Amino acid sequence: MSDSTQTEGTRAADSVTADPPLLSVQDLHVQFPFSRGSFLNPHHGVIRAVDGLSFDIREGETLALVGESGCGKSTTARAIINLVHPTSGRVRLCGTDITGLGDRAMMPHRRVVQMVFQDPFASLNPRMTVGNIIGEPLVVHRLASGKDRKLEVLRLMDLVGLNPRFLNRYPHEFSGGQRQRIGIARALAVQPKLILCDEPVSALDVSIQAQIINLMMDLQQQLGLSYLFIAHDLSVVRHIATRVGVMYLGRLAEIGEAESVYSHPTHPYTEALLSAVPVPDPVLAATRQRIRLVGEVPTPDREHVGCSFADRCPLVVDRCRVDRPPQEQVVQTSQLHTVACWERGK
Amino acid sequence: MKDSQPLLQVNDLQVSFKTDESQVRAVRGVSFDVHPGETVGLVGESGSGKSVTNLAMMGLVPKPPGRIDGGRVMYDGKDLLTLNERQMQSIRGRRIAMIFQDPMTALNPLMTVGQQLTEMTRLHLGLNKREANRKAAEMLELVGLSGAEKRLRDYPHQFSGGMRQRVMIAMALSCEPDLLIADEPTTALDVTIQAQILDLLRDLQQRRGTSIIMITHDLGVVAEVCQRVLVMYAGRVVEQADVQSLFAAPKHPYTLGLLNSLPRFDQSSHTLEAIPGQPPDLGNLPAGCSFRPRCPWAVDACANEDPRLVTMDQDRQVACLVAQETANV
Repeated sequence: MSDSTQTEGTRAADSVTADPPLLSVQDLHVQFPFSRGSFLNPHHGVIRAVDGLSFDIREGETLALVGESGCGKSTTARAIINLVHPTSGRVRLCGTDITGLGDRAMMPHRRVVQMVFQDPFASLNPRMTVGNIIGEPLVVHRLASGKDRKLEVLRLMDLVGLNPRFLNRYPHEFSGGQRQRIGIARALAVQPKLILCDEPVSALDVSIQAQIINLMMDLQQQLGLSYLFIAHDLSVVRHIATRVGVMYLGRLAEIGEAESVYSHPTHPYTEALLSAVPVPDPVLAATRQRIRLVGEVPTPDREHVGCSFADRCPLVVDRCRVDRPPQEQVVQTSQLHTVACWERGK
Repeated sequence: MKDSQPLLQVNDLQVSFKTDESQVRAVRGVSFDVHPGETVGLVGESGSGKSVTNLAMMGLVPKPPGRIDGGRVMYDGKDLLTLNERQMQSIRGRRIAMIFQDPMTALNPLMTVGQQLTEMTRLHLGLNKREANRKAAEMLELVGLSGAEKRLRDYPHQFSGGMRQRVMIAMALSCEPDLLIADEPTTALDVTIQAQILDLLRDLQQRRGTSIIMITHDLGVVAEVCQRVLVMYAGRVVEQADVQSLFAAPKHPYTLGLLNSLPRFDQSSHTLEAIPGQPPDLGNLPAGCSFRPRCPWAVDACANEDPRLVTMDQDRQVACLVAQETANV
């Protein structure tokens, strides 16, 4: 695994810039131990939520991680900022190793990387005013106080399209879309370089979702932000992402520029996933071919020696069950597009 | 299909809810027909009234705070809104069945799947235990759950989300209803599982000729399974058309706005044209057309008159003054 990440690292460095990537994740593993069975006859095991994941995020780009529930995409985001501690692997932020840092040691790094959560109802304190919610990071990181803080909060509200008159209102007075704007303003308060967005628009209605997506893309242009965008909606991802990583059972099946992955899906799982997305076009819906996968995503409680998709894969060969395919196999269409598949990576 | 007698006719349905501050008008005069063997999509965003329409049709609006302010729901020569609870029970589940978004809360966690499946057929069809068990196994087989007989003894928590939704569909179809109301049946599911469930619904419909009302916020799902679509906004139907013409040439500015704000996975980036503003507060609707504050086409007349749903050409109805005017010129 280590040489594969190295290859990927070198390739990325060659093609874009010599600087270390903003975020570099190498061979990340996150395991949750569990026990079930009776008290006298327990069965212990581990859930392999993230099972050897490597990727970089460069400045100004949006990397989207997509996959179905339980594929480990949210856990990856949480492990990066140490909300859960990685079992092994390396996370580097601007070249500095931040793997498994405690809260106090993590503090200065939280000015560089912030998070926006899915549920705009649960992620805002209902007893704090909007002004205090957005201003809290300024207090915690001692960035501004008194009048300066208020001015900064007003600037942030304006930036995300919230009427500054709402400064003293409480979260329950806002709709879902406006609350997500509050969450984004709070994340922007410390002027981060990277924002981890965990399903930021999936709780919103279509017309509001488009407003928030447009806002996030505008902010990226204005402020030069990078995003790690976690989502299950492949249409939203195509729209917002520069690069896409498709996850299956804690591993990357395929990663590459969005354009390349969507127009040349190469891993059999990516193909099936893309063909399952309903298209808002009845003519196309009636004619296009759908690749049907049998069964469902298994729970990640056993170790896969070979490819984790082997059990459901239409292309499976003997090798897939015993040898784990490396993530380094380049797809013909693009040097930055790689796939972990013995059959398709040839 | 249109020449046949409609199976269900909803006529000027009106539902409101009493809150502390106001009377919230959730459904404001919704009318539509469902023909035998047809799939009708009810599409709209949160608060558009699509789910309340469904609950009202089935006599499931909690009263109070809810209230049916008017309208009729004609089925089999009877107005469902006038039936008492006992009469309603002989229709609900038996002739018109429902599946919901969240199969975990819709199934009883303390009963095995088999008990829940047989409860339906024993009650409605009067089957004995053996017959009901055989029927239940048959239904699970039909919805593609393998090892059906063994699985009858399992509890809902032993099934995954997609499998629970299959169980729900098996339950809903076990009394061979004429009409299936599916309220966001795939919203809680992953895309590959969603595709399996939509295939299943389409397949069952072709084999049995069941009519389906598909309630969803997802225009992709509508395009995949529906033949006719009603677009709802703030408690009203703003546009009704067959699925091809709706997507090819939306006539109401809200339908157009919805389609333009939708990111497409099959097209590389185009700018999303978000609909500005927020959906209106149903307790405090603007005068005139309720879409006016967000509408790019609004003219002065829109503030005075709440447009009625008018038939524009065959199979197309639109509630928009500007669209109606353009068509007349």
